[in-house]
Amino acid sequence: MILSRVADALYWMGRYLERAENTTRLLLVTEEMVSEVIGLDEGAARAECSELRAIFPGIDASDEVPRPTKAMAQAALYELSIDAAHPHSIFFSLKKARDNARTVREALTIEVFVSLNETYRELGGYTRRQIADLPSFRDAMAATQRGILSTAGAIEQTLARDPGWLFLKLGESMERVFRTTVVLRAKLPELLAQEPKVDLPLFYTRWRGLLRGLSSLENYRKVHGARMEPADALQFLLFDPHTPRSLRYGTSAVKELLERVSGTSQLSLPARIIGRLAADLAYQGQDDVLREGRAIPFLDHVLAELTRCHDTLSTTYFGT
Amino acid sequence: MKWAVATSGFDEVFEPGGAPRPHYAPLIGILESFTREDVDRRERLQKLALMNQGITFTVYGEKEGLERIFPFDFVPRIVPAAEWKRIQDGLVQRITTLNLFLLDVYQEQRCLKDGVIPPELVLSRTEYKRELLGLTPPRKIFTHVVGTDLIRNATGEYLVLEDNCRCPSGVSYVLENRALLNRVFPEFFAPYPVRPVKEYPTLLLETLLYVAPRPSQSPVVVVLSPGIHNSAYFEHSFLAREMGVPLVEGRDLLVEGNQVFMRRTHGKRRVDVIYRRIDDDFLDPLTFRRDSMLGVPGLVNVYREGNVALANAPGAGVADDKAVYAFMPELIRYYLGEEPLLAQVPTYVGFRRDDFRYMTEHLDELVVKTTGDAGGYGMLMGPFASKKERESYLAVMKKNPGNHIGQPLVQLSSHPTHSHGRFEPRRIDLRPFILYGDRIRVLPGGLTRVALRPGSFVVNSSQGGGSKDTWVLAPREP
Repeated sequence: MILSRVADALYWMGRYLERAENTTRLLLVTEEMVSEVIGLDEGAARAECSELRAIFPGIDASDEVPRPTKAMAQAALYELSIDAAHPHSIFFSLKKARDNARTVREALTIEVFVSLNETYRELGGYTRRQIADLPSFRDAMAATQRGILSTAGAIEQTLARDPGWLFLKLGESMERVFRTTVVLRAKLPELLAQEPKVDLPLFYTRWRGLLRGLSSLENYRKVHGARMEPADALQFLLFDPHTPRSLRYGTSAVKELLERVSGTSQLSLPARIIGRLAADLAYQGQDDVLREGRAIPFLDHVLAELTRCHDTLSTTYFGT
Repeated sequence: MKWAVATSGFDEVFEPGGAPRPHYAPLIGILESFTREDVDRRERLQKLALMNQGITFTVYGEKEGLERIFPFDFVPRIVPAAEWKRIQDGLVQRITTLNLFLLDVYQEQRCLKDGVIPPELVLSRTEYKRELLGLTPPRKIFTHVVGTDLIRNATGEYLVLEDNCRCPSGVSYVLENRALLNRVFPEFFAPYPVRPVKEYPTLLLETLLYVAPRPSQSPVVVVLSPGIHNSAYFEHSFLAREMGVPLVEGRDLLVEGNQVFMRRTHGKRRVDVIYRRIDDDFLDPLTFRRDSMLGVPGLVNVYREGNVALANAPGAGVADDKAVYAFMPELIRYYLGEEPLLAQVPTYVGFRRDDFRYMTEHLDELVVKTTGDAGGYGMLMGPFASKKERESYLAVMKKNPGNHIGQPLVQLSSHPTHSHGRFEPRRIDLRPFILYGDRIRVLPGGLTRVALRPGSFVVNSSQGGGSKDTWVLAPREP
């Protein structure tokens, strides 16, 4: 068993580290797609940018797309990557992860801390001018993603599977499933409303973008092949039992961790909340949820339950 | 690579004729085989390693959360075995005395009654905690961890400059400096029998376990830190990690039924020994400063009941008061019937009227310090101060004479220190660390602090100081 303050810090370290990785990937994927399709369909490019705003509220992506060559607003790229003052920037998340790690270094290994610290310092070394240059921006994002993945590797390879580790992984899993839900909630209305009109390739590109943004495209192909069917993609992101960023996998990961944290046959309140949600995703009729008009309310329900689970686990274990 | 010899004071490395002292000759040979480029490259590696490992301290008063690395000079300081033996014996004698003095002033006050030290002087110190009168700490130990600052005069004799009996810091740098030097300049070590310092955390843990109130029940030890914003936070975290014990803050602890507990995710757990890195005044708002947010309400009462051990024991600070320091030679003779093995700096105590008059008349020759402060704050370096600075300092002194002491300026020894491709003399001191558990142990090493600015006497990290690895050599087999 472990200090409540330490558990709290490890949970948030896990959340922020995962958030930093998610933001990096979404930013990379969105920027690449927007750059590619801006000349083909400016409206679609705009929509991609404004969806980012729904995922990360408060960024300045509204009046972007000034010229085809500067596809995404530089302000948005800057804000979401290295702007230390912006609460959705990768740098902000990495700093939060590192600040939390610094307060609980005794609960981590040197490998974990050094890897996180190096990643943070490397991203902090980029200037606004470098970020404005797209190839160097992509380099920065790729380096950051590598850094975060090696930190995750250090966590996997070196940390004891003690209660501290459980809370770290709990934060990571919670953030991951939460982020998938938020991304789906932001992107689905536009994607589902669109009929595969004139430009079929673009339509599929956007669906592929959704899967890539949730690092699930390759996993999707293994199950469904290269053919992109919106219904299959949606089913995959919600209900696939094996891909780590599906809602079903994510909720059952949180459920397993909370059951281990809970420790007794008497499950804690957050464990029961997530347990019911995981059961819904595993056993509920999938066609029911995927029927027209049902997916969005279902995602709202998932978001509400995840929030309730987070709140109750904070009061139960961190005394906050 | 060029070497310069100190023009004043004792040179640690070179004899007056310019030849290296025998124990430094192999090191100089190795250093001379490096080119400037080699050295610059390794210095860059060294800085990068410190930043990446987060071995930093936080600077107050500047931008929020500004982290700095503690500058490290890679030319190690070498202390031969025989020289160390004398230091070690002197420190054991001194720490024994300090602890006897503390037991005495909080109990029978014999030394005050016998006139060894003026009672009013001791009892007027802010660090003398009358709330603790009559209280004996577990195993009669007040000073579990002491860091004593040593300097060397012009003939190379070691002098005690001050004892730190509250929360001496710097030992993490002793260990990290060794690891860093070995990483960046592994070639240095081969010709020398350097004694390891890595055992310190184990010894510290043994020291702490020794005073546990429930020795039979696998006692719980914690490190209590003021938190991430404290300048020594890295060290608190380092020691907790190395000892494998929880690092706690005041808000993690609570007092119930006259016992101390830590708040955990699944209920609370009793704490037996607290290695606290918080000053007495902030320890318990119910006993000391009421506005303290760092402490634990009710902690001192649990300590009073003998249900928790605190290291160092509250009230120990009076022993390292700079005015009490002046009486240390007398106290050693009084308690142990021995002559002091380590000399110290002659000290004028503002508390004595004659001494104070001498201080006011010779301000331009003296270093004057306030008795309660540490870290080089509240100090006047008379010989280097302007007339105006001396006058305004004098005005402050006159308001509270008993709060000041004066000492002649001691030259401090110098040690070659790397600066832009040259090895130049810089002034240094030495802080060995002493642990008091079932017996007194002196860590064979210490923190050598170095004044990085040319000509400077101030080695404090808060004021432009750096540090060096300090090698204590093992006696060679005959």
